[in-house]
Amino acid sequence: MSGGQTLNLFLNIGFPIALLVFAYLIGSLIERRHFANIRKRESELRGFPVTTFERLPERWQVSSAGLVSGSIVVSLDYFKRVIAGLRAIVGGRVKTYEPLLERARREALLRMTEDARRAGYDAVINVRLETSRLANAAGNGNSTAGVEMLAFGTAVKLERR
Amino acid sequence: MRYVPREPRDGINVSKTHALVEAGTLVAGFSLIFVLIVLVLVFMVELALLFVSPEAEARVFENWQPGDLVAVDADDRRLAEVDALTQRLARHWPDSPYRFRVAINDSEKPNAMAFPGGLIIVTTGLLDRVQSENELAFVLGHEIGHFRNRDHLRMLGRGMLLTLSLSALGDGSGAGLGLTIADLTLRGFSRRQEADADEFGLTLVHAEYGHIAESTRFFERVADEFGGDHGYYEYVATHPSPEDRIDEIRELGRQRGWSESGPPVPLQW
Amino acid sequence: MSLGESDILISNTELVPGREIVEFYGVVTGNTVRAKHIGRDIMAGLKNVVGGELAGYTELLQDSREEATRRMIEQARSMGANAVVNVRFATSSISQGAAELFAYGTAVRVR
Repeated sequence: MSGGQTLNLFLNIGFPIALLVFAYLIGSLIERRHFANIRKRESELRGFPVTTFERLPERWQVSSAGLVSGSIVVSLDYFKRVIAGLRAIVGGRVKTYEPLLERARREALLRMTEDARRAGYDAVINVRLETSRLANAAGNGNSTAGVEMLAFGTAVKLERR
Repeated sequence: MRYVPREPRDGINVSKTHALVEAGTLVAGFSLIFVLIVLVLVFMVELALLFVSPEAEARVFENWQPGDLVAVDADDRRLAEVDALTQRLARHWPDSPYRFRVAINDSEKPNAMAFPGGLIIVTTGLLDRVQSENELAFVLGHEIGHFRNRDHLRMLGRGMLLTLSLSALGDGSGAGLGLTIADLTLRGFSRRQEADADEFGLTLVHAEYGHIAESTRFFERVADEFGGDHGYYEYVATHPSPEDRIDEIRELGRQRGWSESGPPVPLQW
Repeated sequence: MSLGESDILISNTELVPGREIVEFYGVVTGNTVRAKHIGRDIMAGLKNVVGGELAGYTELLQDSREEATRRMIEQARSMGANAVVNVRFATSSISQGAAELFAYGTAVRVR
């Protein structure tokens, strides 16, 4: 095999594969670290009540209230996006998206809760969660630039419990 | 009602399947499906060929010209020469249903193609590179071999069916994988076709000149020029690698006892 | 399984009728991402001409929503809850051809 052929083989097959391997390794590392970070912060915030109740639990005396929110925009790594693209043809559960959405949602909830605690509130009620897709302007809006997770709710300050 | 802090078990919302397992399953599954699709396409084309006789094809496409491929330049002296050489070679295939025609495509890539109805299109890149009539005769003989084996219809039919089936996949990663797999599978078939066309081409060349000298020279030169790079993709990469091909042609000549030496006929332009 | 058919009570109101909430544990979520396949697309494309229900998609989304609910219930059970109240469902497009079905609520213990 001549030098030109080797170079060509690398450009046509080697480069995409190298990119896939790179995306997989770095993507998995980022995911693992993010999940570890989420677990640590969640256990720190464990005592902070977050609910979807629309009304206050009885006996809660509220001195002040305000809207709090947390959001994050995330995107799949190239490797998982390629797999998701294949999966979209045959249908079924798109497993590679699940960890991404899970950590994004928990991150959004955490940011909302941290926001509430920083502002001196004691609990968040009537939490709402929303997901929306940001379309990429380049690929005719078909490819995805990212997914936004938004968590918002009413934070309340209690006089006594 | 009181608040009791508790955490749900981790990982309920995430499937247990590892991303690499998912990737392996999908890629393996797709590869299998595409190989099967290609086999079915190849079979369908073979079936369709049974219903289209060469005579019917020659009649329907008698005056057909793919306008976007042909640079009509009647003044080009080379056109007349290539046409005359084609007719001379075709005489050695007496039962040919085709009335062969030649056209020139203005492209730098050395290439020759066979189209329905006996139309052979050569590129200016090819004409600029051939240095003797014998070299050109083998390239043309090879294309005539495609007509005899009806490969030109095969390629056309497979291409159309493949484009149709891939268009259903859109332009995502599936289409890319599908195209690669389909290409690799079809390459297995086209190698056989190219070898058969080489054999027929070589037979014509021998019948015309009484020797097969210079037949492989064109491939040797093109391979040297492009240094094995796929810039000459159009002509060589869809064919066996030039080195293997040259070896096969020589081997065939030896088997038939055809002389490899003889005076090359110079080009008339 | 249909929605709410489980040993864990599911309600989209604040109160489970006839029960009293004694403890609440926090927000539970369940999600799934599903893609439709080409076969369904083609059938739906044909059906689109005349309009009406795209039964293939109805079934796909309902299946997925049930799975999201199951996962939410699984989270509630792992917290020791016996009911999930104020449940909300959401469906959102994630990428071309893939949608997320999502359910969330508050895990509680009722008496």
